[in-house]
Amino acid sequence: MRVLTRLFGFMLLAASVLLASAPANAQGNMLETIKKRGKLQVGYGSFVPWALRDKQGNWIGFEIDVTTKLAKDMGVDVELMPTAWDGIIPSLLAGKFDAIFGMTVTEPRKEQVDFTAPYSQSGVGVAASKQLAAGLQWPEGYNDAKVTFACRRGIAACKAIEERWPKATLRQFDDDAIAFQEVINANAHAVMSSEPKPTFFTLQNPEKLFRPTTDYVTTGVEGFAIRKGNPEAIAYFNDWIGKNKDWLKERHTYWFKTRDWADKAAAN
Amino acid sequence: MTPPLTVKIETVYSRSPPPRKPLHLTPADAVLLALAFTCVGYVGWRTHTVLDYRWDWSSIWPFLLKRDPVTGELQPNLIITGLLTTLRLAVLGMIVSGLIGIVIGMARTSRRLLLRLIGSAYVMLIRNIPPVVFVFIFYFFIASQIMPALGLSERVRDAGPLIRWLLSVLVGDLKLIENFVIGLLCLSVFNGAYVAEIVRAGIQSVSRHQIEAGDSLGLSRGDVLRFVVFPQATRNMLPALASQFIQLIKDSSLVSLVSIQELSFMAQDVQVSTQRVFEVLIFVAGIYFLLCFSLSRLFEWLERRAALAYR
Repeated sequence: MRVLTRLFGFMLLAASVLLASAPANAQGNMLETIKKRGKLQVGYGSFVPWALRDKQGNWIGFEIDVTTKLAKDMGVDVELMPTAWDGIIPSLLAGKFDAIFGMTVTEPRKEQVDFTAPYSQSGVGVAASKQLAAGLQWPEGYNDAKVTFACRRGIAACKAIEERWPKATLRQFDDDAIAFQEVINANAHAVMSSEPKPTFFTLQNPEKLFRPTTDYVTTGVEGFAIRKGNPEAIAYFNDWIGKNKDWLKERHTYWFKTRDWADKAAAN
Repeated sequence: MTPPLTVKIETVYSRSPPPRKPLHLTPADAVLLALAFTCVGYVGWRTHTVLDYRWDWSSIWPFLLKRDPVTGELQPNLIITGLLTTLRLAVLGMIVSGLIGIVIGMARTSRRLLLRLIGSAYVMLIRNIPPVVFVFIFYFFIASQIMPALGLSERVRDAGPLIRWLLSVLVGDLKLIENFVIGLLCLSVFNGAYVAEIVRAGIQSVSRHQIEAGDSLGLSRGDVLRFVVFPQATRNMLPALASQFIQLIKDSSLVSLVSIQELSFMAQDVQVSTQRVFEVLIFVAGIYFLLCFSLSRLFEWLERRAALAYR
């Protein structure tokens, strides 16, 4: 058993040496860190059409286009780090990557991270079940304890539902497709998600879904989110966004307003 | 260190393997079976009629294998890549958590108070928090301290071709080595606590008299462990170990929460990209079942062999 005592002692020693020699969490100038590393590390969650897989398993989407071009203009490679959306802000704060792309700017998020100037606009749309919600008046009729909303956990739309329809029940799912499926199955009255999803799902399921309104329920803007305390990085990114306004607009239209990419994507 | 002694000990305490019962189907069994099938059929029929869902399995197949656009070679696509990572996590996880389990389990049964305390603290701490919470704590607080200190990515980049090849067999894509190692450590540290309890139970299942007999034969402490305790303890541990290792395979899906790119994580990507939720879920469940079922059979075989060896 003496061996075991020594083993534990050794492990403790090794751990303390390792921790003592660990470089202090890279604060400093973020831009220089990226250039030195030669890689821009970007965290994001899979979310059509922001970031999705094509049939080859490669990442495509609006966010991927933006990331790739930004890294190219910075003269570095891009390292895509797909991350579970639930833990994406803690991961950023823990230094797992440099920035989260395509994050809707909200007040609670602003307390934790800094946002760049917006480079994209999105709106939350709604789709409702024909069987359950056909007789309901939009939007007042939906503020009722009998009404159930569905949304994907952690996205801005959930918050909007809680605020505008406080009496309704809100059910949150890990995935958009399941949230929509609940409404198609008539287990929930309506589902909210960023456009263009509500439009596409309604087009695909015309006998089950309808749009109580084609207006955006809420609108939001997206920016890159980075750790607080990097004003020079924010300035650099804002400058880049300003210079590439037209290009960003063109890409946004391609991914959000057209379906030209549909045959590349795996969804059908 | 004298082999004849062990032979004697083994022959004195022999146990024969339990005989396998022949299959015999009575009318009552047949009725029960028919009922079971009816239930399954009914659930299937209800699902089909109530759940309004257009099944489309064809979206999944492209994500198993893909053809390289340049060379035309067949390559693993997302699901198979994820499966390979899960397999590596499972195999390496069993080895690492096995080692942790043996060390901690021995510490738990040690005569020294300090070792017993260390062992108990480890087991009690980990066994009494939910796995999901542990995964997050480990990822954000522990792994983010250890990984930068190890500097794995840099070391791998500077390593020679042979080491790189070996590593790529062990962990897969070298670009994701940190990601993989965090997942592996998380899973092993967590599962090690359970394995430690199994090892402790195994060691304590060996009668005191056996150890005293070994002592009185003049065997050293190490030899008593090696020739008297472990051979018997291992046999007693096998059924519980099988359950624990099956649990490990299933628990490996938990690390997808912290973006370790194994089967569940990849499946989630495929779900989002194809919008085919149920097909992907069911398919992946099938893969996990096959993995775990094969492991069960392997352990059954090991148990039979272990029993035979002591006849």
